[in-house]
Amino acid sequence: MKSWPILALSAAVALAVPVVAHDGYIIQLLNIAILNAIVVLGLNFVTGWAGQINFGQAAFYGLGAYTTAIATKAGLPWIASPFLSVIVVVVASLMLGLPTMRLRTYYLAMTTIGFGEIVRLMIVHWEPVTGGTSGLRAIPGVSIFGFGPQGQMQHYYLLIATLGFAILIASRIRHSVLGRAMIATRDSEIAAEQSGVDTTRIKLLAFMIGAVYAGLAGCLYASSIRFISPDSFSGTQAVLLMTMLIVGGMGSIAGCVVGAVALTILPEALRFLGQWYLVLYGLGVIAVIVVAPGGLASLVSLSQLRRANAG
Amino acid sequence: MTSEPIIAARGVTRRFGGLVALDNVDLDVPCGIVQAIIGPNGSGKTTLLNALSGASHADAGSIRIGGNEIFRLKAHRIARLGLARTFQTIRIFENLSVIENVKVAAACHTPTSLFNIVTSNARQQQSEAEIDSNSREALQIVGLAGRANDNAKQLPYAQQRLLEIARALASKPKVLLLDEPAAGMNMTESMTLLATIARLKNSGITILLVEHNVRLVMGISDRVTVLDFGKKIAEGAPSEVQRNPLVIEAYLGRRHRHA
Amino acid sequence: MGQLVVNGLALGSIYALVALGLLLIFNTVQIVNFAQGQLLMLGAFIGISCAVTHELPVAMAWAITMVAMALVGIVFMVLVYFPLRGRPAFLVILTTIAMGIVLENLALIVWGPLPVSLPSPVRGPPLRFAGVVVSMHQIFIFATLAVILLLQFLFLTKTRFGILMQATAQDLHTARLVGIPVNRTIAVAFAFGAVLSGIAGLLVAPIFLAEPTMGGSLGLKGFVVSVIGGFGNLPGAVIGGLFLGLIETFGARYISSNFRDAYAFIVMIAVLVAWPRGLFGEKSSEKV
Repeated sequence: MKSWPILALSAAVALAVPVVAHDGYIIQLLNIAILNAIVVLGLNFVTGWAGQINFGQAAFYGLGAYTTAIATKAGLPWIASPFLSVIVVVVASLMLGLPTMRLRTYYLAMTTIGFGEIVRLMIVHWEPVTGGTSGLRAIPGVSIFGFGPQGQMQHYYLLIATLGFAILIASRIRHSVLGRAMIATRDSEIAAEQSGVDTTRIKLLAFMIGAVYAGLAGCLYASSIRFISPDSFSGTQAVLLMTMLIVGGMGSIAGCVVGAVALTILPEALRFLGQWYLVLYGLGVIAVIVVAPGGLASLVSLSQLRRANAG
Repeated sequence: MTSEPIIAARGVTRRFGGLVALDNVDLDVPCGIVQAIIGPNGSGKTTLLNALSGASHADAGSIRIGGNEIFRLKAHRIARLGLARTFQTIRIFENLSVIENVKVAAACHTPTSLFNIVTSNARQQQSEAEIDSNSREALQIVGLAGRANDNAKQLPYAQQRLLEIARALASKPKVLLLDEPAAGMNMTESMTLLATIARLKNSGITILLVEHNVRLVMGISDRVTVLDFGKKIAEGAPSEVQRNPLVIEAYLGRRHRHA
Repeated sequence: MGQLVVNGLALGSIYALVALGLLLIFNTVQIVNFAQGQLLMLGAFIGISCAVTHELPVAMAWAITMVAMALVGIVFMVLVYFPLRGRPAFLVILTTIAMGIVLENLALIVWGPLPVSLPSPVRGPPLRFAGVVVSMHQIFIFATLAVILLLQFLFLTKTRFGILMQATAQDLHTARLVGIPVNRTIAVAFAFGAVLSGIAGLLVAPIFLAEPTMGGSLGLKGFVVSVIGGFGNLPGAVIGGLFLGLIETFGARYISSNFRDAYAFIVMIAVLVAWPRGLFGEKSSEKV
């Protein structure tokens, strides 16, 4: 279960990082990593726990970001944007979720990919509002009663705090009726139904919660990075998010964060590889799937198991 | 406990393409007894259980459980009406711990409120505490209380079967359907299982049992229903059924055909 | 309007070919290859390398491409199928997607991002009748599809190996037990599947320019066709492909050409909403 020393240590490291790493560029990269972590935590509800393939998470991310960008640029007070983003994302997730909850595996994968494409096409072609392929610039930042974070470091602390909340809520859900019902649905839908779980409702709920996480992350993305374009929320991004989940460890909250941070920093660190990065990335994903499909989290619990058996 | 049968099924029929798996089956299970369904392989026993529990709906017929018509109702609704079951092939939740497996069913009658969960308020804590104590009770009955925090997939086979029973009990059912609960168990384990079933019957639960091991079944059942090729061919006290020529023919006949 | 029909059918024939390649693999090993579109792209570029860069005669380019694609199919099988046998479908999906990413980026490295054209193997003035113009290339597309369908039918039903392949497709384990060289049939399925997509690429490139990122949407349309026609159903795939080609062409003309790619998904979602197990039923992931 949870081990307090590790949690405290991670928190300490997380808080100390921007002090140690002065470079604004690195901090912005970490900010994006934190935002991705929140999105992946959302994906974890749907795919990691409830077992529903979802390649549409990037679309919800984008919907949240664009809703916020458009609303704040139109002059609405910032405080409205998280609420608007959530509303848009919930409606979209219902539109996608309601007809598709009966679908399985391949059909579900294709439908969610299709959904992501449709959203992307809408964003790209609704130029007057969304700026088309060039995206939107100079998005107003977070501002509550006139106060807001200034500079990358303050944004970092705001985002870390948000991530902390996201983790806390995810943990609470995990250890509740809802979390258990989601995992039961994935492990054996028939047995779950027999135990009183309305699996269709649970899948839909997981889908919506996941979408809300992505939508809120999108809202913060727009308000912190201040520039968005359709490329950040494309089908490739959806695949990337899924690989973050897998590499970190599907179903593990810590895994989500580690996977997201690792796979956000990696492309930057390996920038010198140029186009080869994606080739190696693809091969790396295949390697992970073949060798350790449970991701890093499974490797950790495996070593814990060995230690427990040895000691 | 009334004199009305707690399960009353009429004309239950199920077809798979050209094959008639259940042919106009009637079933009455009086309240508070242990009733067994036996029959040669392929006679439709599991199909009947599936129709009763909602796992795989019948094509026609009427099924009343505790007075409620449940024909073609979704499985989770039937579960909430007080019916629980175990499966022929083990279907535990591998990614949950032993006690979490049981908790899933224990929450059967608990409404879920996202608000309560997210805020982890007093009501949530209370609800979780109740679920926890109900689950431990169920584990106690089957003797798994000591392994509550282990991963479900670490349990040996026989204990996984017991876990399924504990999970079924956690929803405080009025009717318990057991699908070949002793499959794969050795003599000792089967004896323990029988003792557990007897205890459950004494606590007021009606038990409907599908078992292959006819001798095992005769010892514990108050009433036996025999199926063959999807039709009910006999029903009554174990001693009557054992001597019924149709039943003997069904089993012997099968053996002849396979020889 | 008749012109739209011709164009739509030609486009649809290409989609049908992608779907046929997809289904060949799926019927044999129950894997949906999400990189099928990238195989199409590869076929187009190998053809371009031969015909344009090295200025070989187009017919020879075709021959070389088909052989190369067969080899690619086998490599694909080795990298994807063997390591992932028995793993849950979700991981297989992700693996084939990853392979698609690898192929796409290798293509970007080797051939660069700029669109290139490929000449058609047939030349000559287009046919004109009833106010409709049918180009030689379009006729070639129809002819190719017809020939492939015929060859596939004859192969699967009349040759010994073809019948073995059908057996493998129906029940892999029993086929193996009975002594059928299952691995060989799987290899042939992957090889042919890749070749079919490669041919689709060679047919597409003369119409639309070829670029390394073209695989994504074409592959997805192959899936849509498979869904519409019914997974596993070959004639259904052909009908589905032609149907999609028509819908896209008419939709682009009368509704909006911006959302050209979206029509496929909308039709697919509509079909799946009405028939969640697909038009011809999909095996449930859990048996009671």
